[in-house]
Amino acid sequence: MSQKKQQMQVEQKVPENVAKKTVRDTKLREAVAKRRTERLAANKTRRAQWEKNAQAYEAEYKAADKSLVDNLRKAKTEGGFYVPAEAKLILVVRIRGINTLNPQVRQTLRLLKLRQLHNAAFVRVNKATIEMIRKVEPYVTYGYPSRAVIKNLIYKRGYAKVNGQRIPITNNNVIEQQLGKVGIHSIEDLIHEIVTVGPHFKEANRFLWAFKLRGPRGGFIAKRKSFINQGDWGNREDLINDLVKRMI
Amino acid sequence: MTSVPLVSVFSADDSSKVTAKHIPLPAVFQTPIRPDIVSFVHTNIAKNRRQAHAVNPQAGMQHSAESWGTGRAVARIPRVSGSGTHRSGQAAFGNQCRKGRMSLPIKVWRRWHRRVNIKQKRHAAATAVAATGIVPLVLARGHRISQVPQIPLVVEDKIESYEKTTDALNFLKRFGAFEDVQKVVSTKVVRAGISKQRGKKYRVRKGPLVVYFNENAKLLKAFRNVPGVEVVNVTRLNLLQLAPGGQLGRFVIWTQSAFAHLDKLFGTYRYTSIIKDGYQLLRPLITNPDLARIINSNQVQEKVQPAKTTKVLHEVQKKNPLKNTKAMDRLNPYAKKQRAAAVAAIKANTKGTKKIKKNKALKKASRAAYNKVAASLNDATKAAVQEEQDIKVKYFSVQKGAAQTE
Repeated sequence: MSQKKQQMQVEQKVPENVAKKTVRDTKLREAVAKRRTERLAANKTRRAQWEKNAQAYEAEYKAADKSLVDNLRKAKTEGGFYVPAEAKLILVVRIRGINTLNPQVRQTLRLLKLRQLHNAAFVRVNKATIEMIRKVEPYVTYGYPSRAVIKNLIYKRGYAKVNGQRIPITNNNVIEQQLGKVGIHSIEDLIHEIVTVGPHFKEANRFLWAFKLRGPRGGFIAKRKSFINQGDWGNREDLINDLVKRMI
Repeated sequence: MTSVPLVSVFSADDSSKVTAKHIPLPAVFQTPIRPDIVSFVHTNIAKNRRQAHAVNPQAGMQHSAESWGTGRAVARIPRVSGSGTHRSGQAAFGNQCRKGRMSLPIKVWRRWHRRVNIKQKRHAAATAVAATGIVPLVLARGHRISQVPQIPLVVEDKIESYEKTTDALNFLKRFGAFEDVQKVVSTKVVRAGISKQRGKKYRVRKGPLVVYFNENAKLLKAFRNVPGVEVVNVTRLNLLQLAPGGQLGRFVIWTQSAFAHLDKLFGTYRYTSIIKDGYQLLRPLITNPDLARIINSNQVQEKVQPAKTTKVLHEVQKKNPLKNTKAMDRLNPYAKKQRAAAVAAIKANTKGTKKIKKNKALKKASRAAYNKVAASLNDATKAAVQEEQDIKVKYFSVQKGAAQTE
């Protein structure tokens, strides 16, 4: 009792609670500051890595473009033909509303993430997905998106599915948390995965919420008719890019 | 419990004099305050003083009214039989009808009284007594006790022999309790509502409660006429008096013997009550009320997990990275270099072309040429206008001439 009194006198009568709390608080503050410096240092290295990756991808895209052009030229000079590889990626846009839908069509649209009018989604091309798209053809328009369109979609309209919630991709933390374990750390990594339909396309596409586009400026031609018949639905191959540019 | 709170007993004649210095507080005053129990017990106990009343069973039914049935363009409610008066044919019997009987007429066999478990009643009384010893509660209940020397106020048994009201008044004045009595007097109002015609004309506040012990005490008569003051024997403490309206913290004045009797009445934490057979006071849930100390203690802080920080997944407002450079740089640090490269590329592309310099002389010459052209145009338009006018004049003069000749 007397020892405590002496202590208290020495400390100018600081209450025990307050003394304990100040010790605890300084410790916490130091821990927070330490964590912050660590985080900032880690961020720096991360950002350097993102930049490096982006630069690599830019070179890769440039090389791909160049090789395509070179091949075409080469074929021309040789008098032959160069057929570029068929598209691996499709961008599907829903152009019909929700009323009076065939249940199978309804379900297939849901599977393609197209739950709403003017929703767009990336789909990998294989036998299974081709069959699915054929089922819903009169209700969608689809084609082969260009790199620029893919990039713009993800930057401007990119939202992530995190814990069942639609979270905007405002920084790479979201991407890192969800896709870090499959090697996608930044938005450029994500775009590259989608563009090249890489080994983790499934995870990357699943991470993306459906793109909610606006109606096209200038309008559709005739949604009741197929694109081939001077309408809108069905496969419009590369011309999907023009449409989506008007819808972004 | 290390130390027991102590109470002084005051002399009846002189409020500054203390006859007994340190009397331990009875254990009742240590019981946990349970307003929920008091509220429950009070709402039920308060019903026990009610007298049965009822509506006349025949009210509204003293007609031979019968429904006219359908087909007569009137509602099917029973209608008063007979004729010759306005009342005939009017609706009767129903609760919705004028002069009809009420719905569910009150019966005398309504359950007027409520029984409450004895233990609950005892707990409520104990809590109410405890609350009388807590100054903030007594103040909150509205008693004017700022001049009272001590709460709980314990006075020597001399007041039990008061016979005159003047003695009682002076006693109250001496102990600062008169302010409470004055409050009662000044706030006596005529009651709102019909009750004032039924014998409850005034609404009077509660003042001090004087608690005595000896049965043949005369103080009842002395204090009876003082407005607001109630007198009660300690063996018959009433929750309706200790916590009027279910509100804890009545201002109580104890006599010494009454105060001493409380331990026997309610028992202590070591012994159950003798008088309330086997009754044990409520034990508090926690014995150390200093929560700050508990929370900051080493034992608790060792086990406590670190405080959770809110995880912010994303910024509140999504900015378009294609337009907003900051947003773009946050996502793609390489974008800055790409922009710079694009600007450099444009510059490089336009390197060979001549830059169009602002030539002042050229400007002057071109302006002079322009003015010349403009002036000539001006002259041309002027000439054209003049020509038109001439033609008009000619035409009109020809007409005039023609008219004149005619």
